[in-house]
Amino acid sequence: MNQVLRDKKAIAAFVVPGLILYTLLVILPIVWSGYYSFFDGTAGMKNWAFAGLKNYGKLFKDKNFLNSLSVNMRYVLMVTAGQVFFGLLMALIFKFWVKKFGALVRTIVFFPVVLPTVAVAQLFAKIYEIQPHYGLLNSLLAGVGLESWVQPWIGKSSTALGALAAMDIWVAIGFYSVIIYGALLDISNEIIEAAQIDGCNGLQLFLHILAPLLRPILVTCVIFSFTGTVKMFESALALTGGGPGTATRSLSMYMYDTAFTYMKTGYGSTIALVIFLICVVGSRIIRFFDWDYRK
Amino acid sequence: MSSKNTRKLAEALKTVLIVVIVLVFLYPLFWMVTASFKQPTEFVSKPAYALNSGFYFQNYVDAWTRGHMSVYFVNSLINTLLSLVLIVIFSVTISFALTKMQWKLKGFMAAYFGFGIMVPVATTLIPLAQIFQKTGLYNTRTGLVLVYTASAISFSVYLITGYLRALPDEIIEAGIVDGCSIYRLMIDIVLPLMKNAIITVLVIQFFFKWNDLIYSMTFASKSSLKTMQTGLLYFENEFGSKNWGAIFASVSISVMPMLFMYLALNKAVIEGMTAGAVKG
Amino acid sequence: MTRKVLALVLALTLAIGMVAMAQAKTISFLSIWAEDYDNGKLLTDLSAKYKEDHPDFDFELELVSSDNLQQKVATLAVSNDLPDVFAYESGTPLKTMIENDYVLNVSEALRELGVEDCIDAGAYSFLTNLVGTEDLYDLPLGLNIEGFWYNKALFEQAGIEAAPTTWDEMLEDCEKLMAAGIQPFAVGGADQWPATRIINAYVMRKLGVDAMNKMAAGEMSYTDPGMIEAAQMLQDMCEKGYFGVGPTTVDQNTAAQMILAGEAAIIYNGSWYTQDLVAPTNPAGEDGIGFFNIPTVEGGPGTLTEYSMNCGTILCLSKDKYDEETADWLKYIVTNLGDYAMSEFGALKGYVINEYPETMSKYSILVAEEMGKVTGTSTWFEAAMSSELSNIAQVNVQSLMNGEMTAEEYAQSLQDVWDANN
Repeated sequence: MNQVLRDKKAIAAFVVPGLILYTLLVILPIVWSGYYSFFDGTAGMKNWAFAGLKNYGKLFKDKNFLNSLSVNMRYVLMVTAGQVFFGLLMALIFKFWVKKFGALVRTIVFFPVVLPTVAVAQLFAKIYEIQPHYGLLNSLLAGVGLESWVQPWIGKSSTALGALAAMDIWVAIGFYSVIIYGALLDISNEIIEAAQIDGCNGLQLFLHILAPLLRPILVTCVIFSFTGTVKMFESALALTGGGPGTATRSLSMYMYDTAFTYMKTGYGSTIALVIFLICVVGSRIIRFFDWDYRK
Repeated sequence: MSSKNTRKLAEALKTVLIVVIVLVFLYPLFWMVTASFKQPTEFVSKPAYALNSGFYFQNYVDAWTRGHMSVYFVNSLINTLLSLVLIVIFSVTISFALTKMQWKLKGFMAAYFGFGIMVPVATTLIPLAQIFQKTGLYNTRTGLVLVYTASAISFSVYLITGYLRALPDEIIEAGIVDGCSIYRLMIDIVLPLMKNAIITVLVIQFFFKWNDLIYSMTFASKSSLKTMQTGLLYFENEFGSKNWGAIFASVSISVMPMLFMYLALNKAVIEGMTAGAVKG
Repeated sequence: MTRKVLALVLALTLAIGMVAMAQAKTISFLSIWAEDYDNGKLLTDLSAKYKEDHPDFDFELELVSSDNLQQKVATLAVSNDLPDVFAYESGTPLKTMIENDYVLNVSEALRELGVEDCIDAGAYSFLTNLVGTEDLYDLPLGLNIEGFWYNKALFEQAGIEAAPTTWDEMLEDCEKLMAAGIQPFAVGGADQWPATRIINAYVMRKLGVDAMNKMAAGEMSYTDPGMIEAAQMLQDMCEKGYFGVGPTTVDQNTAAQMILAGEAAIIYNGSWYTQDLVAPTNPAGEDGIGFFNIPTVEGGPGTLTEYSMNCGTILCLSKDKYDEETADWLKYIVTNLGDYAMSEFGALKGYVINEYPETMSKYSILVAEEMGKVTGTSTWFEAAMSSELSNIAQVNVQSLMNGEMTAEEYAQSLQDVWDANN
């Protein structure tokens, strides 16, 4: 029997095609980026020259880079927390409160997930609008007497990132709530009923019974969300274009500008490597909370 | 107030909350459809929440002809479906070899494939542009599908290996005792057992590929290859302005088929998502 | 079995990848306009006519977004994969292409074809000045004047009798409009360039038409007091509410529509605006919108006959791909473009026009009249800037408008980028 499972030809057939593709298009580019980060200028043009560690030195003095780093990190914190928290909340509502039309409600909440990001951004641009006419949000605020709250949501540095985060949370709530809801379904009703008979209130039930059982799935969700938000690009490009000023310009956007608009391939590669390092370190830290995985 | 009344009130409040939630997710979509029938001047001269004053179908004509939504939608669909097929084939075979088969480099390979989860798109972009230019894959559908597939392997392998580990070895051993070849084993025994895991991978990767903007805007500039995401961004004339009515018409065009597809598949999708593969 | 499926799928993928097969001669055109829009339509139509006599010929248009154009062309150039013809930006981007020997010397080619005089003399000198060469390396696809357009009814409503000629008068008019409850300006700050154009307008009056070129050449500093004053002017106008609330969220198309709909009184825009003005859907009607040139600034050398001009996006030919067939096509295009654009769009494209159409709209006449007054020209704000500098100038102008950056900081941020790259 081991013969079958040791079949070298089969292993090669199973692994090699994927391995080649993966190595060429995922692993090789990272090594390549590392190599480029020691160069100055535009790859393929006359000004391309070896520069040693110059790009790395420049990084910490570059105000635009530091700004993008800060924007990106704040975005990751807000959106990851929001997506997982509201996903969890929504899953609990599905499980305990939604009695009728459960499938329909879940379908509606999940629906934004399949909308193209750019489409959602165009939609939210109109929702946040202030000039020439109030968009949905400002109309609503003015309608309930909160005129002082009416403002250019994506036109001010202080609110633009939050407005962007709100959009990205709205889009993904359905995705996380359905995953967490699946995990909730696996927890047997007897456990929950027993706890309720013992006099647990909702919060106690959640903290003592559900939270420990949900921990692995929550860690998985945080990792999904983290890896999705670190690369912050699509939604910001489409909603705010990184603005106003540089208030919502992420690392990926700054890297894209540097490499493809300013044509500084070497420095762009350096920024690209930093994004990679943040991903590696961040994922490691989150994994730390997954006891089972560490075993 | 009796406890019965309190409970009734609580139930009513819950219902109200659920209705509010449904509205929060549904109203923007409804509004988008009404906006797609507005004339350009309506966006300026009327408040955003106003209903469309008539049905200005020119927006749809613009979206379809000038906006090439027909082409972009088909492109998005082809790219996504082709890469999904490849992703499933690669990730299932690799995961099986990494969990159930016996070979020397197994441990190393598991780590090697796992590594890719942490690689952000941006990091690979510059070298990929160079690789594609040198191999003639720039501005081809093949290039886009290959990079979609490669960038999804790690995550999909991670999901499927998690599921396979939980699959008892006895099932496979029983198959081997029955005289199955390794390929028969794969197709007749393993594949059916992994239905839910595969659906999960399909859903999650569909979500990622369908929404891709950065790869397609970098590697596919030809109008015949452009995807919906880039298409929507490109509704600009020379001086960077936007034609809102046509944009919302395009968005509506792109959403309708998705809506029907999703409503049809919704049960399998939610089942796959909740079935356990994601639980690692 | 699995391997067979795999091989099949791979083969299928590859097959789908290989689409169009080459024909005898296909001219590929990298465009930022769709086949049925503006210059995309112009070239597609002309090529279709050319094809009537040359059945082997084919014309293929590839569309990119204007935001992405520079990046796309630069990438294609590096990999020796430039299309035969492509849209591009004049100024520094084109200069780089000339220096790296990627683009055709158009003057030389036209001389050889004996059609050098097809290009309008004004356009010729404007384009060569932008890149600082003797010869022409690109073809014009538009020749626009820029300035302020205003809604006549709103001016009347606010009691303004004549369009302003000095910047101070313009500010007074803004106060009158505010007092009448009218938003004075609509500015497409989301698109960034409409905001930098206002700084540019002030600079060309305060420091002269060549100030931006001097700054790019290092003969003047971006932190010149006149520049800071201009940036301060933009910020002040913004803070006084002349641009309404949140102007950095408004795109230029919306802003342009606002003027027509009477939601704001004045806009800075180019003469391409006439496309919107002549549309039957224009609520302001055939004569509802007026034009005034950038008002003069006290103490500055600028005069009212100096205009800010714009050639928009230009057309380049790949040097490597240029051959006899392309030359023949080129000859046809340059000899017919001017007349066709005038008769079909009523637009000046920078070519000699042999036949004027019998009826012209009021707005086309207005533009033609203004063009006739030109004695000196300035270009747009970013024309002489590198792509990095131009990006910073546009990104930071939003911070300037929002008061998150002072005028001094804005000017300094430009100088910093210049210093780091020179």
